[in-house]
Amino acid sequence: MHQAISTVNPMADTTIEFEAAPDVLIDLDRSEQGDLRTEEMLINMGPQHPSTHGVLRIVLRTDGEMVLEAIPHIGYLHRCAEKIGENLPPYQYIPYTDRMDYLAGMNNNQGFALAVEKLKGIEVPARAQAIRVIFAELNRIASHLVSLGTYGLDMGAFTPFLYCFREREMILDLFEAACGARLTYSYLTIGGTTQDLPEGWVERCREFLDYFEPKITDYNNLLSFNHIFVKRTGRVGVISLEDAIAFGLTGPVLRASGIRWDLRKIMPYDGYEKYEFDVPIGQAGGTREIPHGIEVGDCWSRYYVRVLEMTQSIRIVRQAMDQLPSGDFVAPKVKNLKLPDDEVYVEVENPRGQLGFYVRGDGSAIPSRVKARGPSFCNLSITSHICRNIMLADVPAIIGSIDVVMGEVDR
Amino acid sequence: MTQISVPWQPTQPVRYGLLSRPIVGVAVFIYRMAAPFVRRFPGPILIGAVVGVCLIVWLHALTYAYVDARILGAASVSADPAAAISWTSPGTWGLPPSTVAALIESAGGPAAAWSSILGYLLWPLQFSLTRDLLGLGGLFGLFNLIPIYTIWWERKVAGRIQSRLGPMRVGGWHGWSQSVADGIKLILKEDLIPDGADRILFRAAPYFALVPAGLAFLALPFGAAYVFRELDVALVFILGVLGIEVVGIIMAGWASNNKWSVYGAMREACQMVSYEIPMGMALLIPVVSVGSLSLSVIGEAQSEGWFSWLVFSNPFTFVAFVAYFIASLASCKRAPFDLPEAESELVAGFHTEYSGLRWAFFFFAEYAVMFIVGGLASILFLGGWNSPFPASWGASWSDGILMQGLKGLVFNGPIWFVAKCVFFLYVQIWLRWTLPRIRIDQVLYACVQVLLPLTMLLLLGNTLWVWASMSDSPAWAGVDRIVTYGLGLIGLAFALMFPAIAAYGFYFRRRLVGNLVQDAMPGS
Amino acid sequence: MPYANDVNNDLFLNRMIFNAMANSTHRTRAEGLGLRDAALIRCAQTFDHSRRLKPAAQGRAKIFPALDCLRWLNPVVGLVCLAVLVVWGPGASSVAAADTLASDVAGVTQAVPGGVLEALLFYLVAGTTVISSLGVCIAKNIVRMAVWLFVALGSVALLYLLLAANFLGAIQLLVYSGGTLVLLIFGIMLTSKSPWVRFEPHRLELLGAAVICGALLVGLCAALTGTTWHGMEEVMPGTSVAALGRRLLTVYLVPFEVAGVLLMIVMVGAAHLARQEK
Repeated sequence: MHQAISTVNPMADTTIEFEAAPDVLIDLDRSEQGDLRTEEMLINMGPQHPSTHGVLRIVLRTDGEMVLEAIPHIGYLHRCAEKIGENLPPYQYIPYTDRMDYLAGMNNNQGFALAVEKLKGIEVPARAQAIRVIFAELNRIASHLVSLGTYGLDMGAFTPFLYCFREREMILDLFEAACGARLTYSYLTIGGTTQDLPEGWVERCREFLDYFEPKITDYNNLLSFNHIFVKRTGRVGVISLEDAIAFGLTGPVLRASGIRWDLRKIMPYDGYEKYEFDVPIGQAGGTREIPHGIEVGDCWSRYYVRVLEMTQSIRIVRQAMDQLPSGDFVAPKVKNLKLPDDEVYVEVENPRGQLGFYVRGDGSAIPSRVKARGPSFCNLSITSHICRNIMLADVPAIIGSIDVVMGEVDR
Repeated sequence: MTQISVPWQPTQPVRYGLLSRPIVGVAVFIYRMAAPFVRRFPGPILIGAVVGVCLIVWLHALTYAYVDARILGAASVSADPAAAISWTSPGTWGLPPSTVAALIESAGGPAAAWSSILGYLLWPLQFSLTRDLLGLGGLFGLFNLIPIYTIWWERKVAGRIQSRLGPMRVGGWHGWSQSVADGIKLILKEDLIPDGADRILFRAAPYFALVPAGLAFLALPFGAAYVFRELDVALVFILGVLGIEVVGIIMAGWASNNKWSVYGAMREACQMVSYEIPMGMALLIPVVSVGSLSLSVIGEAQSEGWFSWLVFSNPFTFVAFVAYFIASLASCKRAPFDLPEAESELVAGFHTEYSGLRWAFFFFAEYAVMFIVGGLASILFLGGWNSPFPASWGASWSDGILMQGLKGLVFNGPIWFVAKCVFFLYVQIWLRWTLPRIRIDQVLYACVQVLLPLTMLLLLGNTLWVWASMSDSPAWAGVDRIVTYGLGLIGLAFALMFPAIAAYGFYFRRRLVGNLVQDAMPGS
Repeated sequence: MPYANDVNNDLFLNRMIFNAMANSTHRTRAEGLGLRDAALIRCAQTFDHSRRLKPAAQGRAKIFPALDCLRWLNPVVGLVCLAVLVVWGPGASSVAAADTLASDVAGVTQAVPGGVLEALLFYLVAGTTVISSLGVCIAKNIVRMAVWLFVALGSVALLYLLLAANFLGAIQLLVYSGGTLVLLIFGIMLTSKSPWVRFEPHRLELLGAAVICGALLVGLCAALTGTTWHGMEEVMPGTSVAALGRRLLTVYLVPFEVAGVLLMIVMVGAAHLARQEK
């Protein structure tokens, strides 16, 4: 387990040494054998618990208020999503991708569509690409809003949650105007989108962005820089960069640990290379922007990276709407529905990290294998590593900052 | 064939108990009668209720004064004055209603025309047993009304803070009877006790939390003469009974047979025991300034207007007020100290397994304690029932009954006390919907490392200040006066800040909230 | 029961059986039960909700339905009882409290008229004290003991209030019922093996306790018979707060300070022990 693997950070040209993920399984049967110390208590947090974000179950081994060990148990929302993909033609599988990460349906659609397009060699028109970018970024904002709001809820602040959902409703209104659905869109499809943007949509979206941008300052004043909030989340659940890479973390959780790794920059898809934006990373506290008591890779950094990403998403959406080309919104339909006898693996940057789709065709219209690499699933794996010797109240803080969606963990 | 019972089929019909259906029936009947009027004339009824309560309080004071002067005064001529006051002494038993009526007639005035009826009506009032029963009834009503309307108000305020409307439906006018409807629902809920729970303690626990909160009202003065039982150690008594509440919560947490509940109970015990000390220390500071443990005496010591309020008496009391308020938040487990029932960590903490009326009792206790804690703050620091205007301004007012009533309204009276308590309730609600929750180690750090040394220093400093003030040095008197007025002006600035900020927010609400919200959401 | 038909025909229960088979424990297998039996048992256990949550009225109401109304009367009865105790307990003295405020400073309070009601209250409260003290000794469960102890301490506080020693009663509530007892429970819960602990002393321990208690009883009886008791016609001077404070800081200054130093030593010692633990 101790082989040193080196990887190259393409953004910073630095080499990072790290070890493979340590073995984190503990033997639960010890409690039955009487080996457990009697002051310790085993507690089930979940699957029905207010702050496990769905049906995650965490078994906590606690000594008073201290949590000695936390073992996540998953599988309560398993719906055979990948197996269904091996029984349906790709066009019909798109709605199922919505239901994986149900807070970021657009990004999931995009990921699967890109994989099938690469497999079949479909050229996506420029307008369709721009629309995809707009919707993927809007959905990123919506997803981060949910993450922010529920994180406040986990910390006991109820009000930011409702503010975030108020703004998210407006994004959902925009989505509804475009595709008629508010949660499971199936809007970005293979070859482009299902429909063109409705008339006046861009103006409405601009109006929303003008309204929304100053709201981020409100969230920061209300929650991000709140002294109690900083004290609760700063230096809690610190993930070092080595650990983050060893556990295969991606997305804001990885970037909060201090590396500028964003697929939209590194392997641009759908024309992301045309837009200007920054990749925010976690920074140590004490500067003008970041309050005291913040460490790279702690819960607050993960939270704040999401806040900063919303600003960048607004930038991208604005640019995409300014440069929105005219033309087709979808590639011309191909008569041949059969998939080539080939395999592809495509990753996109989801709000929660890298979502990968592996699709293998065997000459028929139905893929012989569909496999998703979910960011929440991989990010969740570090829970038991960082939930050691912490306070009980830190467990919701850590789970919330990792921001898992159980629909995608269990698939 | 195996018999298996399935979850959706109850094993037996739900039993509601004998009294819950009649209670609910009466409540619904009253609601049906009252709702159409309240829906149509909400404003007049609200104002009428406030004015009516003031009138009732005033008439009650007048009547008691009358009975004391005319009946007890007449009777006590012959008997020993100390014994005559007590209802146990036989000296006052001999006055029949006819004598009372004669006494009223001899007093003259408009009451004389009704003397025969009034004689019968007022006759029981000469016995303190009657007065105690009346007072108990009033307190019991108050004890019920305060939580019901604080909960409704909390939901309204929370709604406004979160750009929602809060309850709007039940009763028509801003959901005024939402809490009553919730209460009816809670009474009718099935009473569940988890398997494996300690059934006796599980059932007893809510009363251990509820009754102390009710007992504290017995010694809490609402005005100079409006206290149910004047105790010379009222402050210690109230602190003592509030300390009992924690026992109920530990019992609830332990008896539920639920690990999350045990966590809630342990947190509550930890927090209450540690925060009682700085809270008591902070409360001792005004006690030292006045020199009495009686809340009535402390309240009366602040009757000379804004600058005589103890919070402005010296810098130590000023800081002690803040320290007390923080400690009181912790002791009535309000945010940001709501760890015992932290919903994101402990599901619902100590009341996870409670439902129905038993759960409502915990809620009642919590809101009643919030009121009492606010009441202590206003009596000990903010002048209690005294208005910001000095009572000496009204010295020249005439002795007529109307002017005296007006005097009671302008310079002091229960309405000022209730207004101050409501202000404190509002601040507690406001904090709850604004701040995140603190972690348990931070809670204890704040107590042991910050509040405890701080309040100790404040107590020492205040004692020295009082000691210095006792020497009749004119120079020190000048310093004292300058400090008092300076602090008073700072307090005035704070007090004016609230309406100013509110006015600013109201005036620029479109810009602050945003047009999109204004158009999309009716409540903003 | 309409749903309790043959298990195999019910789709829902079949799925439950599937789940149960997937989760069936090795224990049931070791007991020689088949998979199907294990599944059935598990089904029955999982979905018999009355096993997990029982309606409170079940059982008892059948025996004596009239008792059920007491359930809703409980809060009223409890509040009224305690209010009665507090109101007419110190009431006898504090009706005159408004008058005595001034005289308190002088250290003298007014006469307390006794009565039948007071005697009744005294026997009620004293009886509660005795019963709850017995409860502390008899109860096996530590938390129950603590609750009995709470009742005992609370009724002692009420006794003080009945004796018109308001300050002492309030302090008893504040320090013993509210503070010490909670610390006691807290300590038990944190240091014992689990919160659900039972207290079963050894017989030798019981014997030692009996010896000590017996000695205490003899001593108390000796003291009781040896004291000449004053009548309760008047309150002893010096019970008001101001007078108490004055006496503590003048006449009894040395014992007061010694007690303070003792508590300080205890605190330092406790801190030292707690540090050594690490």
